Amino acid sequence: MSCLDIYGTKLDSRMLIGSALYSSPRVMLESIVASGAQVVTLSLSRQNPGQMGGESFWNIIRSLDLHLLPNTAGCHSIKEAVSMAQMSRELFQTDWIKLELVGDDFNLQPDPIDLVKATEILLNDGFKVLPYCTDDLVIARHLVELGCKVIMPWGSPIGTGKGLLNPYALQAIRDRFPEVTMIIDSGIGVPSHAMQAMELGVDGILLNTAVAHAQHPQKMAQAFRGAIEAGRLAYEAGPMAEQYAASASTPTLDSPFWHQA
Amino acid sequence: MSEPSKEQPKIAILGAGLLGRLLAFSLRNDAFIELFDQDSGQAEDSSAILAAAMLAPLAESADASKGIMQLGELALNTWPRLLQQLPEKIFFQRKGSLLLAFEQDRGSLLNFERNLKGDNYRKVGAQQIHALESEINPRFAQGLFLPDEGQLDNRQLLTVLGKVLRAQTNIRWHSNSFAQIAEQRVLLNGEEYGCFDWIIDCRGLGAKDTQTDLRGVRGEVIRLHAPDVTLNRPVRLMHPRYPIYIAPKPDHLFVVGATQIETEDRRQPTLRSAMELLSACFSVHSGFAEAEILQIQSGLRPAYLDNEPQMRVKGRVISLNGLFRHGYLLSPVMVDLCRSYLLGETIDARYQQAIPQLMKIESTGEAIKELA
Repeated sequence: MSCLDIYGTKLDSRMLIGSALYSSPRVMLESIVASGAQVVTLSLSRQNPGQMGGESFWNIIRSLDLHLLPNTAGCHSIKEAVSMAQMSRELFQTDWIKLELVGDDFNLQPDPIDLVKATEILLNDGFKVLPYCTDDLVIARHLVELGCKVIMPWGSPIGTGKGLLNPYALQAIRDRFPEVTMIIDSGIGVPSHAMQAMELGVDGILLNTAVAHAQHPQKMAQAFRGAIEAGRLAYEAGPMAEQYAASASTPTLDSPFWHQA
Repeated sequence: MSEPSKEQPKIAILGAGLLGRLLAFSLRNDAFIELFDQDSGQAEDSSAILAAAMLAPLAESADASKGIMQLGELALNTWPRLLQQLPEKIFFQRKGSLLLAFEQDRGSLLNFERNLKGDNYRKVGAQQIHALESEINPRFAQGLFLPDEGQLDNRQLLTVLGKVLRAQTNIRWHSNSFAQIAEQRVLLNGEEYGCFDWIIDCRGLGAKDTQTDLRGVRGEVIRLHAPDVTLNRPVRLMHPRYPIYIAPKPDHLFVVGATQIETEDRRQPTLRSAMELLSACFSVHSGFAEAEILQIQSGLRPAYLDNEPQMRVKGRVISLNGLFRHGYLLSPVMVDLCRSYLLGETIDARYQQAIPQLMKIESTGEAIKELA
């Protein structure tokens, strides 16, 4: 199976996993290990990162020795997001940033206009930006034209678990920008959602709640791992075309006519 | 303080929060105790003073193991007996708890229910909610009623325990003291102090100097006086990140909490957290609009990696720690475990059946019976 490419870093796993909402850090660690993910996202908001408030928790995540992808969750303005990104770069020694800019508090929909502006600022500042965006083709185009090598459209709003609300829009982005790494970020509820996205040809899945809120997060992480791998394999294998009429895979010549359609 | 007799062990207890006080109380007839308290005696900087002191093993099980629930059930049955031994009445009730969700949080409620480790609850609709809590917002049409859960008044308890312990002639209370443990010895304000048969570490996050796997989890809590509001029992409101509770205390006092944030940030509560908690209150009962905000506070819960408590024994040093958000829920069990261990009595087998790692013995000290 081919690799996931994040700004030149090649990864065997196509799953990126979040570090929030688990019932304990131990459950989080076990779930992340079970997922096989090589990238862990983490949020600094509300932790008072300037005073190293989250240090104990960050050290637990660091103990996994995986790629860290800090995010700007909870930021409502360009200024907040840029400053959070800069702080994350210092704290975690990484130029990767998952850029999130809340545009609507009810469904946490990203603000597409400020997202593009903040992406430009951060790219110019040397960041490798992984922007969390909606499934709007034109916004995706702006992000790609600015130089994003990765874009992360939503399947549906964060934490909803509703899966891919608009597969058509996601397919359009995929088809238009085949060279860009496309990761579905948010809205994935069950492994079949992830598999559906992978079969569409997206490159990876980022999720958190679907695992953390499962009754057995470690098992669910494993289930997603399997689904994402299977979905990718299916995409690479090339699916058969759907047909209108049934076509028997075994000959029906020996069946009487009233058994045939 | 009277002189120790040869039969009774000398015990140092570091930390005079809930665990330290309860342990000293449980050993008051068995030992000579020196209690080292970083505070003035009012537990002002302890996690115990902030807590809502809900005794809700089933509700907590949504985010905790079955073992924690089982220990909480044992402790819930122990509390009335324990409180009866005190000279003053402490508010304690067992009228259950009510969990509510707005329509848009239906998914969170369903998730909560799916994660419960027991089945002693029932689903309630608008009418039943009204029958249980007639004053709350009639928009609530769905919830869960957990009939066995309880609560107590933590501040009353800490005060009364303080009075009782101070009256004991075999207990010496060191207020405003900074005690540490180094190589099986007590250091008081940096100097080696005394000679003890047992040293019990109940310092919570204060023990981080010797236990590197302890971490603090921030919680923010608001205390309100709301004469216009009467609630019969704690109400929990579903929230996408953590259930927010409103725990009624006597005289229309309410404890509203608590955020749960993975940080050791010790600043005062943030505006965002205060807004979340206060808007939750107002959404449950409009009578909170004119409530007086008595206190907004933050604190750090001491937790291990699995958010479960542990008693650790190393020689004659015993540590009780990692009670996370379950201080009141689990302290009777931890205290009984420790007491039984150091007095050489039989340990209730149910404790370790519930949580096999509840007790970790790194090296054994001599049990008291052997000493005698």
